[in-house]
Amino acid sequence: MATLEKENPLFMSWHNSAWIPHLSRANIMDYFADRSNPFYDRTCNNEIIKMQRVNPEQLKTMTGLEYELLHVQEPILYVIRKQHRHSVEHTTPLANYYIIAGVVYQAPDLCSVLNSRMLTGLHHIESAFEEAQSFSRYSPSKGYWWEFKDKEQEQAEEKLKNKKKKEEAASSMFQRQRVDVLLLELARKFPPKVIQAKPGEKPIPVVSEHQNGTVSIKEEVKEEPGQQQQQQQQANSNSVTGAGTIGAPNAGAFFSGGMKPPMVKKRKLVK
Amino acid sequence: MAARSGLAGDRSKRYEKIEFLGEGQFATVYKARDVEDDNRIVAVKKIKLGHRSEAKDGVNRTALREIKLLQELKHENIIGLLDVFGHKSNISLVFDFMDTDLEVIIKDNSLVLKPGDVKAYMIMTLKGLEYLHTHWILHRDMKPNNLLIDTNGVLKIGDFGLAKFYGSPNRVYTHQVVTRWYRCPELLFGARIYGVGVDMWALGCILAELLLRLPFLPGESDLDQLTRIFQTLGTVTEEQWPGMTLLPDYIEFKKFPGTMLSDIFTAATDDLLELIAALLCINPMKRYTATQALKMEYFSKKPGPTVGRELPMPGVPAAVLKEQQHTRAATKRKQPDDSGRLAKKLVF
Repeated sequence: MATLEKENPLFMSWHNSAWIPHLSRANIMDYFADRSNPFYDRTCNNEIIKMQRVNPEQLKTMTGLEYELLHVQEPILYVIRKQHRHSVEHTTPLANYYIIAGVVYQAPDLCSVLNSRMLTGLHHIESAFEEAQSFSRYSPSKGYWWEFKDKEQEQAEEKLKNKKKKEEAASSMFQRQRVDVLLLELARKFPPKVIQAKPGEKPIPVVSEHQNGTVSIKEEVKEEPGQQQQQQQQANSNSVTGAGTIGAPNAGAFFSGGMKPPMVKKRKLVK
Repeated sequence: MAARSGLAGDRSKRYEKIEFLGEGQFATVYKARDVEDDNRIVAVKKIKLGHRSEAKDGVNRTALREIKLLQELKHENIIGLLDVFGHKSNISLVFDFMDTDLEVIIKDNSLVLKPGDVKAYMIMTLKGLEYLHTHWILHRDMKPNNLLIDTNGVLKIGDFGLAKFYGSPNRVYTHQVVTRWYRCPELLFGARIYGVGVDMWALGCILAELLLRLPFLPGESDLDQLTRIFQTLGTVTEEQWPGMTLLPDYIEFKKFPGTMLSDIFTAATDDLLELIAALLCINPMKRYTATQALKMEYFSKKPGPTVGRELPMPGVPAAVLKEQQHTRAATKRKQPDDSGRLAKKLVF
């Protein structure tokens, strides 16, 4: 790409940010004549005039390569023409350059524009054909036919599935509330054993809880985050030490599989 | 005092004075018509009688130099000495008539010097210099003012008042030659033995002046001249120029990094920059000779040199300028510090 860019001026742009805020009709030619501007041929007549410090009016009396400010639409757009001067009246345009917001581009010639547009068009047509080909079906008995619907349905189904998965992962408000209700019911049916937690011997109560029949479901839940959660909860429960709060660690451990336990816990605490 | 009345014999009648062109310290110059040669226009330079000290040998020394050297030189790009004749204690030299000189063209802001023009001037000057140098002659006063141009755009090197044979291994020369702005570093360091480099350096300065339309290194004193040289081209070391520190007037200079030539001559092509660098090489041993320079790429590449008749000519009547020119030129040579001429500073 780098070599291509060097070869083709249409793929290049140039700007000098130091100049950009000060650009005006008066200095735009000087900006364009910046040494680093790849579009500026420093052997042009403009530069000769500048180097020799003669009257810029003299430019028209010279022959050869020159640049001329063609169009100005301050403060944003300037058009500069590169031309070969044969005489005072007669010039042959070679290229146009436009400067938009300080960035210099070479205006493409008609051939390049057509080429580029046609290439883009062809590219789209080609992709359309490829796409169409993927929908065509053939069987010796039926011949050819198009098969759009199935694919669309499949896609739709896939999308649905994806959606579901996403929903599952995130857990909706409805789900959370529903599970809370169920849990509450469960907790009422099987009231947990009240164990007085003592500071110092943290792991014991919870571990014993775990082994209780109430929480056999817990085993299905992912373990790693659950354990972390447990420890957190343990710390909490230790500090709080209240019978009412004991349910919380349970719930926390239960929900730890990708849900948001803090929310749940709070709810519980409020109740 | 007219050429006709002041000169005796047949010779004085041969040249019919047309107008007075100018007067300098050494000579008065008239435009004259050669009646014996199809009314050809010539310039008659009548040497003034100098001081007795100067005229010890009978004739003014610069005039003698010019006569001695120019009589033997014949080249398209060297001013032609057509005739010499004397009357009483006066000597008159008859030269090709030249319309203008390079200084006038450089200073005429109504003219643009195109790359082809510069190349044409350089080729003509280099050919003239090559001829001189191969005949063991140093011009020693190369400057735009001494590069004369005729109506056909042919450039001829003129004013051989300081020219001298060179090449004798034991001959010592004075270093007080060449107008300061065109004086090379070895002369400024007081070298007594030098070679073609002095003319080549001056030519480099002339080339720079053709491009910038301003004197390239307008030093105000010899020291300032050296400072400008090193500021512009960068200070050199003993390694880059072996023997520099041994020169009689050597002074150590601050380390200047120098400016890129491409930043000074912004519109110059790369081959032209090479030529400038080759001519303005501080080490005289590495500086290109005229023959080497003529073989450089610049002269074989596009654009071609402008043909003589299409070369720019000053818009003001040449004779008027010539008159001012001669008066000024003559005084200037003797007094390089001429206050009448403001030294312009280069703005980079």
